[in-house]
Amino acid sequence: MAAVEQALTIDLRAGARARRRRLVNRIAEAIAILAAAVAVAMLVWVVWSVAERGASLISWSFLTGDLPIPFSPEVGGIGPLIVGSAIVVGIATAIALPVGVLIALFLEEFASNWLRVPIQLAIDLMTGLPSIIIAIFVFSALVYGHAENGVAGSLGLAIVMIPLITRATQEVLRLVPSDQREGALALGASRWRTVVGVILPASLGGILTGTVLAVARAVGETAPLLFATGIFGRTLQLNPTKAMPNMPVQIFIWSESPDPLDHRRAWATALVLMTLVLVMSLVARIALNWSRRNTTR
Amino acid sequence: MRVSFQEELDQLEASLQEEGALVLRVLRGALNALEQRDVELADEVIAFDDDVDRLYLQIELGIQTLLARQTPVATDLRLVLAMLHINLHLERMADYAVTIAKLTKLVADVEPDPPLQQSLQEMGERAEEMIRVALDSFADRDLDRAETLVELDELIDRTNRRFVERVVELVAEPELREWVLRMVLVSRTLERIGDHAVDIGEQVAYLLTAEFREFTDASHPEEHV
Amino acid sequence: MAPMRPVDVAAQTEPSTPQSRETVFDIQGLKASYGSNVAVKGVDLEIYRNLVTAVIGPSGCGKSTFIRCLNRMNDEVPGFRQEGKILYHGIDLYGDGVDQIEVRRRIGMVFQRPNPFPKTIYDNVAWAPRILGLKKDLDERVEKALKGAALWDEVKDRLKKSALALSGGQQQRLCIARAIAIEPEVLLLDEPASALDPIATASIEELMHDLKTDYTLVIVTHNMQQAARVADRTAFFSLDVDESGQGAGVLVEYDETGKLFTAPSDKRTEDYVTGRFG
Repeated sequence: MAAVEQALTIDLRAGARARRRRLVNRIAEAIAILAAAVAVAMLVWVVWSVAERGASLISWSFLTGDLPIPFSPEVGGIGPLIVGSAIVVGIATAIALPVGVLIALFLEEFASNWLRVPIQLAIDLMTGLPSIIIAIFVFSALVYGHAENGVAGSLGLAIVMIPLITRATQEVLRLVPSDQREGALALGASRWRTVVGVILPASLGGILTGTVLAVARAVGETAPLLFATGIFGRTLQLNPTKAMPNMPVQIFIWSESPDPLDHRRAWATALVLMTLVLVMSLVARIALNWSRRNTTR
Repeated sequence: MRVSFQEELDQLEASLQEEGALVLRVLRGALNALEQRDVELADEVIAFDDDVDRLYLQIELGIQTLLARQTPVATDLRLVLAMLHINLHLERMADYAVTIAKLTKLVADVEPDPPLQQSLQEMGERAEEMIRVALDSFADRDLDRAETLVELDELIDRTNRRFVERVVELVAEPELREWVLRMVLVSRTLERIGDHAVDIGEQVAYLLTAEFREFTDASHPEEHV
Repeated sequence: MAPMRPVDVAAQTEPSTPQSRETVFDIQGLKASYGSNVAVKGVDLEIYRNLVTAVIGPSGCGKSTFIRCLNRMNDEVPGFRQEGKILYHGIDLYGDGVDQIEVRRRIGMVFQRPNPFPKTIYDNVAWAPRILGLKKDLDERVEKALKGAALWDEVKDRLKKSALALSGGQQQRLCIARAIAIEPEVLLLDEPASALDPIATASIEELMHDLKTDYTLVIVTHNMQQAARVADRTAFFSLDVDESGQGAGVLVEYDETGKLFTAPSDKRTEDYVTGRFG
């Protein structure tokens, strides 16, 4: 009984120090919220300005139609650009995905220390490589002396994508609990069996996510495609060994044009491209959540 | 469910019942030897006690291991503690049977007094009955049955008192003196066996009720010779 | 006279100790280190067939390192080095030409945290038989393993469901089923119940009791009572600090479990099992 009475006399109200602590806390919180708000605001601003200027041209015929003849008053369409972008990026993904994943597997599962460090460094440097340099490399190696072609552009994009996919895959491989690895090894599985049978399936979602993000990044890359894809050609091009019209390069061309209608076309194409990238990022997000649920307990 | 632990408990309890059966046999042997003045049988009884001791030791070790390894609690703990006591009581009973056998051998050549011989056999049968009741009440977890042991003990005590009264009359006869004095010890021994049976009943009550109590009031004056 | 004939009671109630013990592991002067850190040293002991052998001891005494030497799981750890001999049926596990994959196929292991693969219950058990080419009668093999791990009745209607949906205790039994699906001779269990609740722990302990008729079990546990309950023999490891201040795990005492827990012969064992350690 006495203990209870004594407990009641303890003062639990905030003292001076506690009040100061609370103030500092509030200020720090406010700054953080402000910073986050600025970032969101910038994004909203960009999205809004693109949408505002580009939305008026968007229509089914714009999305599917052939490119307009230069200086034509007809709006035309960007069908060949979308298909071109899809093919170029598709080929790039087909190259970058296996290469990127294999590099990641090698680094995480097989490489000894003295091999891992330099390769990791190279991959990190590749991530920071300005894309215009990749463009010049691809131009000198594959385009110069040949015709401009889609495959060359794909290769350039693949070089952009590989470090992204490798990085993402490494992250998700590290996420696979080491006891999964041990569990497989303890059953008499070889290293390679363990990787293929247990680790890869467990990290599939994460690899997919990384790939989608890399695709989203590549689909907007302009520089590697600048020298590798044609400026001319208005109609659908399905052969990747030929020059391929695509979205980012066309946006660039239209925005350089003196024709005000071309500016509007550029904005509308930008809106399409941006929507695609946003949707893909969203898909990646969902895929990641899905894979997390499946690999971790 | 800790099946293996339960099995160990069951096995210990079975060993204990087995020990009880051995005690009954050794006691019966001792009573027969006494009645027939059979020295050979008395020797066999004395030798047979080793078997009881061996089983006693095994149960003791089994309980020790069980306590160390399984840390029993609640009913299991009470069962193990009860078995620890019952084991000791049974071993003591066997020892008393050996005492009877040894006393038998000492006076095998003396012609006994029939009425006294008669009441010793009667006491022996009561003691056997009490051991059976004690073991059964333990096996069946039967509290009422265990409590009847107090009344049975009362009967043995009474026979013991009557025995002592008769002894007082006979002790004057020189040719019977040694035999009578030895038989007083036998009577006392049988009475003690009855007490141990009551103690087993108390352990059964403890197992069932979780209460420590004596069936007979400890402050009650005991009537021994 | 008939009832007086002595019966051989001793033969009926003698605790079941195998008459002739077959040695599965003969460990001679084992020393295991990671880089310059010595985890255990000077370990000599024999592990017998169809018994549960427990390894107990305080944290850092090298008991996990020790058990992982028995199926060469430590090979995966960079900087690991092993000296001395571990003879498995007379063959040195670390000898020339010994393939760690073959070793692990015969000496299975179950880990501290249940680690089922993110696959179906069936595929978890069938995975190892498949990669080892034991594809004949796979269904029966899976069923037998699940029954062996006392899990069959609980999962037989949802074999194609994800193993991750099982409870912790079920997952651990699934891991045991997965291990015994390739019919190893030895099962190593590295603190198999430390992540489980008491009921799941009891079921694992009960299972170990059943498993020893077919397998030789070695269990590492930080739970002394668990060792006391399940093991036939117990090895007590402790941390031995030398003059230079470097600590290494050593084997202090190895005996019948009952003996170790009632009358240990080493003071350090006594202090540990009575809780007076350190």
